[in-house]
Amino acid sequence: MRLSQLFFRYGRRAPWVLTDVCLTLASGDVVEVSGANGAGKSTLLRLLAGLTPPTRGAIEGRPAVVGFAPDHFPVGQPFTVADYLRHMARIRGGARYEPWAERLGLSPMLGHRLRDLSKGSAHKVGLVQALMAAPGLLILDEPFAGLDAVTRDTLPEIVTEIAARGGIVIASDHQNGLSALPSVRHWSVADGHLTERATPTPSPTVPAPLSSPAAASQAAPSTAVVEVTLPADEAPALIARLRDQGYDVRERTLA
Amino acid sequence: MIALVHYRIAAYVRSHRVIQAFLPILLLLSFVFASRAPRGQELAALTDSAVLVIPLLAWAARGLLDTEPDTQRTVSATTVGGPGREVTAGLLAALTVTGAFAALALAFGLLLGLSATPTPTTLTAAAALHGLAALTGTTIGALTSRPILPSPAVSIITLLAAFVAMLLLSASPLSWLTVPVTAWMKAAGNDTLTTDLAALTIPSVLWPLLGLAAYTRLRRTRP
Repeated sequence: MRLSQLFFRYGRRAPWVLTDVCLTLASGDVVEVSGANGAGKSTLLRLLAGLTPPTRGAIEGRPAVVGFAPDHFPVGQPFTVADYLRHMARIRGGARYEPWAERLGLSPMLGHRLRDLSKGSAHKVGLVQALMAAPGLLILDEPFAGLDAVTRDTLPEIVTEIAARGGIVIASDHQNGLSALPSVRHWSVADGHLTERATPTPSPTVPAPLSSPAAASQAAPSTAVVEVTLPADEAPALIARLRDQGYDVRERTLA
Repeated sequence: MIALVHYRIAAYVRSHRVIQAFLPILLLLSFVFASRAPRGQELAALTDSAVLVIPLLAWAARGLLDTEPDTQRTVSATTVGGPGREVTAGLLAALTVTGAFAALALAFGLLLGLSATPTPTTLTAAAALHGLAALTGTTIGALTSRPILPSPAVSIITLLAAFVAMLLLSASPLSWLTVPVTAWMKAAGNDTLTTDLAALTIPSVLWPLLGLAAYTRLRRTRP
């Protein structure tokens, strides 16, 4: 799957949400997308899923079967969980939702009305409908939001399995729930640009704008992890400054 | 795609939105056919019902298309294989519902609104007009549905204004610019509808198809 010189904005006079994005996704890739609220992560996911056409550029080679799990599952529908999933299974051509409902701990809720579900249970319905058809491209928008601990542990396993059979998984995730997986690609969206940093493996990359295939294919220099201890009230400013400079920063609180 | 059509109609019926269209249509038909049409006026009476039911068919189509939450539309689009198929399924579902309501209006008129049994020619013409009403209602409903007009107030005003504009325009020399519903009624009143029907069908099909094409085009950037 390949994105070529992709630009997107919501109107002719609207500011660009994404500019000059060029990248390639291979079978089995798992991508974690990060970025501030409103940076354009969800827009990127919609473009990747084929829900919105790009303003300029093209996306080629998208797998035929796409699964999309929204960040907020729409519970305002007049169905029980089982009725809803049965409908989605029929639309998918007879996919089976029961194994996924069982695996995500949703089976006891199948008889409940959608509008009566908790946030976490509703989120599981969104995940089940996305997973049931063995998607070649799985788009997950904040997949860990509201999930219980057991399902939070199960989801990375499922992602690993999908990647192992050649599926592409792209997740927008503020909670870094997939960070424990090996070989996860990390994309960051900020100011209309998509940057990629490599996984913390022996030869990772520093943030490199994916503005052209040439730039994307340049050999990446090695990186280092620097731990800084400072007064808590100064941390936000330093983190913001470093992020402005394109570094990947994670905050740790000392016990 | 048929499974998605079925899902959308099921959601429309289960949400009880169907009643929001069914009851006003029943009320309208009760008024239109309050006294049975005299012998020889069968087609004029049935044509009146076909025209007057159009805004309620548009209301029904809009209600069906708006039943699905916005996020569910995106889920449905990926599930069915793309936004284009989702749009088509929505329109098919809306056309199914408006077609059913138009058939109800025709059946109501035939059973309770006429003094004499209509001739097969009259029945065919009346059925054709109700079919055209369903197509016209579906188009207006689609063009005023939430992805196109997010504001409910603007949407409802636009829906009603579209019907009024259609009535006024079709009564003017510029009747070719819209679905000529006034011409339908005039021809039915003059007893020339069966001969004029073919000529009247062309703009009556053309404009709704153009409207549906515009809706499909607009939905490309309004998922």
